[in-house]
Amino acid sequence: MTSPSDQSLLTSRARLPQHVVHRGFVAETVVLNLRTGKYHGLNPTAGKMLDALEVAPTVEAAIPGLAAEFGVGADQIQADILVLCRGLLERGLIEIEDASD
Amino acid sequence: MPPTESAFGLELEIDPAITVPGLDGGGGDGGGVEPTAVHLDPNEVERRWAPQAAQARRMRELTAGEETLLSVDLAESAGYLLDAVGVGRVLVSLDGRELLCDPDPAEPDWAFILAAQALPLAATLRGFEVLHASGVVMAGGAVLFAGEPGAGKSSLAAALLRSGAALLGDDAIALSGRDGEPIAYPGTGSLYLRAAEDDRLSDAERARLGPTSTFAGRRRVAVVPAPAAALAALFLLERAERGPQLEPLERVDPFELLAATFNLSVRTPERLVRQLDLVGSLAEGGRIHRLRILPGGDATASAAAVEAYMAAAAQ
Repeated sequence: MTSPSDQSLLTSRARLPQHVVHRGFVAETVVLNLRTGKYHGLNPTAGKMLDALEVAPTVEAAIPGLAAEFGVGADQIQADILVLCRGLLERGLIEIEDASD
Repeated sequence: MPPTESAFGLELEIDPAITVPGLDGGGGDGGGVEPTAVHLDPNEVERRWAPQAAQARRMRELTAGEETLLSVDLAESAGYLLDAVGVGRVLVSLDGRELLCDPDPAEPDWAFILAAQALPLAATLRGFEVLHASGVVMAGGAVLFAGEPGAGKSSLAAALLRSGAALLGDDAIALSGRDGEPIAYPGTGSLYLRAAEDDRLSDAERARLGPTSTFAGRRRVAVVPAPAAALAALFLLERAERGPQLEPLERVDPFELLAATFNLSVRTPERLVRQLDLVGSLAEGGRIHRLRILPGGDATASAAAVEAYMAAAAQ
């Protein structure tokens, strides 16, 4: 599978597939891939990003709210959220959809 | 029909030809579920498993060097085959309602594998989550101790038993999340002591524990198991240079709780979600505590510290 470019990732919608569930804990979010039976841990920042991605119409639409919440620049959030999305994609924990679908 | 017993939340109908210490006439008080039947039937194990063996998936393997000690294989049309080398095989149906036993004739005490592995596996298949923990009931609440092998779980349970607590189990405790409130269910009425722990006991302490015998090469104390009880506390044991030290855990590591769950063989989506949900409810309830103990230290002192800690928490 070809890795999407940063631009196409930003304008797409990130969706949790049906085989992925997650639960938030005080210091960690646990993401479970039911197909592989593997648990993955996200730190609190990545957990917040996942929550934001779940409801945002596109990846880039999630950025302003996160930048405000964490008090850092949108450029930094964009860089971090792209790294997170690629990591989640690689592990089958999110799927990318055309935002117009 | 065989008499009904209970362990790990299961109502059990055990073949009279099978003797499981601690499940010998005490009656049932399980989780109110349909019984699980345990039969001695080597031929049926072979008849069901042999045609499926080639397609089976290995779900778990316990080894010592190159030697396999225990394995669990899954064949969708036959169930889970638990094979304890030199002990025997138990075929557990996919729904956990039937266990068929094929003991090794050379191992007279083969039935310990039922309490140690097969019944916790069946309980997991029946919807319970089993923790690798010892546990007692104190002041009406279940108090569990989880930690690595050799961390002192059984010794601590034995010490609390000596001071009047009732035993839930010394190695595996079944939990259900009924109404969002974790309930702990007892295992068999047995406490197994390591030789070193047994040697430390005075005659009076030994007498307070209950009648003892040797089973499967270990010192077994026969006890009346505690009734099921709501979970009051789960202590995560950690070896430390000083101890005992106790503290509430505000930031519970969910992976530490997941690692404390007993059964690694059942990986159905339903079970994995249930496991995660139970860990979530444990972490949320303020019931998790850290207990740091000195390796090889005095379990009586740790037990006294736990009693004082629980008494203070109740005020």
